[in-house]
Amino acid sequence: MPRTIRPGEVLLSFDELATAAGITRGRLGRLIRLGLVEATGPTTSTFTAGTAAQLRRMIRLHVDLGVNYIGAAIIVDLVQRLERLQAEMARRRDH
Amino acid sequence: MAVKFRDYYEVLGVPRTATSDDIKRAYRQLARKHHPDLQPVAERGRAAERFKEINEAYEVLSDPEKRSKYDTVGAGWKGGMDFTPPPGAGGEWRSADASSFDDLGGFSDFFASLFGRPTSTGRGGRTGVRIQVPGNDVEAELPLTVEDLLRGGKRRITVNGGRSLDVQIPPGAREGVVMRLAGQGGPGVNGGPAGDLYLHIRTAPDPHYRVTGDDLEMELPLWPWQAVLGGEVRVDTPDGPVTLKVPPGTQSGSRLRLRGRGLPRADGSRGDLYAIARIVVPERPSAREREAYEALKRGATAPTDRPARV
Repeated sequence: MPRTIRPGEVLLSFDELATAAGITRGRLGRLIRLGLVEATGPTTSTFTAGTAAQLRRMIRLHVDLGVNYIGAAIIVDLVQRLERLQAEMARRRDH
Repeated sequence: MAVKFRDYYEVLGVPRTATSDDIKRAYRQLARKHHPDLQPVAERGRAAERFKEINEAYEVLSDPEKRSKYDTVGAGWKGGMDFTPPPGAGGEWRSADASSFDDLGGFSDFFASLFGRPTSTGRGGRTGVRIQVPGNDVEAELPLTVEDLLRGGKRRITVNGGRSLDVQIPPGAREGVVMRLAGQGGPGVNGGPAGDLYLHIRTAPDPHYRVTGDDLEMELPLWPWQAVLGGEVRVDTPDGPVTLKVPPGTQSGSRLRLRGRGLPRADGSRGDLYAIARIVVPERPSAREREAYEALKRGATAPTDRPARV
């Protein structure tokens, strides 16, 4: 049975993001105040699924490797830059 | 059930005589190198497998009780050999240091044949409460063509375990957009919730259209006289052929806009399609064309011998 993508699969509310990341609303609020999580959707309280994926990665890095949240945010950002560079290199190879 | 013997010392790259500090150090180094979240999405799946192996090895070698059992049972076996566990192996165990990635159910059959499956955890001991452990998140790439972004529609994907899933491509899908499919990741343990599936959209280069944000760009080859005199040309767009008005004096590189023929946005509107003029000169002009160009040269009133700028 085919699944249809609902808006919640690309955009998430504050509560949905906390659930997706497996953290409390209080902790999510702190991470937002620290500037480590940004509202990326059309309003200041909507988030993209990409942010949820990033947040999950930050939390795993924190739990598994003991990296603090700021360090984890930097790592996630650098890995994304690496991905973009690799994608750009692949595009240039194809042309 | 035939399982292969796993050499946990080899996995961590330490000798059998390694101290617990050596093991901890080796684990930390390997974890730092192979943690899936340190890899680009495309390599994350493979890294997750390796990280699981490392965690499993550490789970055994960092716990004196498990390590001594492994050393006793494992004497004489080599990695990769078919392994038959001795009678009395198995049972239940508790995770000493749960990582978010060792989803407990994710340990190998070899591990389970020696130490059993995890059924309890926490300080309550072996008969303690069954702790529900959520499943792993799975991150994967969803390669789409420009055609897919334009038309939407369904895409069948195969997720871990060979399950197939029909995913509806949402309007607004773009390179880098992530979809979260709640509960479609790894299964939970002891009735814990399943993890989520994150699909990262990737777009393959298209032979006709370049994607820039919501807009598409395409090349529009024109003959010199079409560019000078203007006229109507037929162009193929994603919505089929249309007639495009080329204004007189169109320069190479001019962007002619076809409004609303770009990529669909989430709000239902669409980006634009730009046809970029490229003036192509005839490589082998006919005698008549040559004559016409000679006449053009003689009649030219341009002020200098060549254009000052492109």
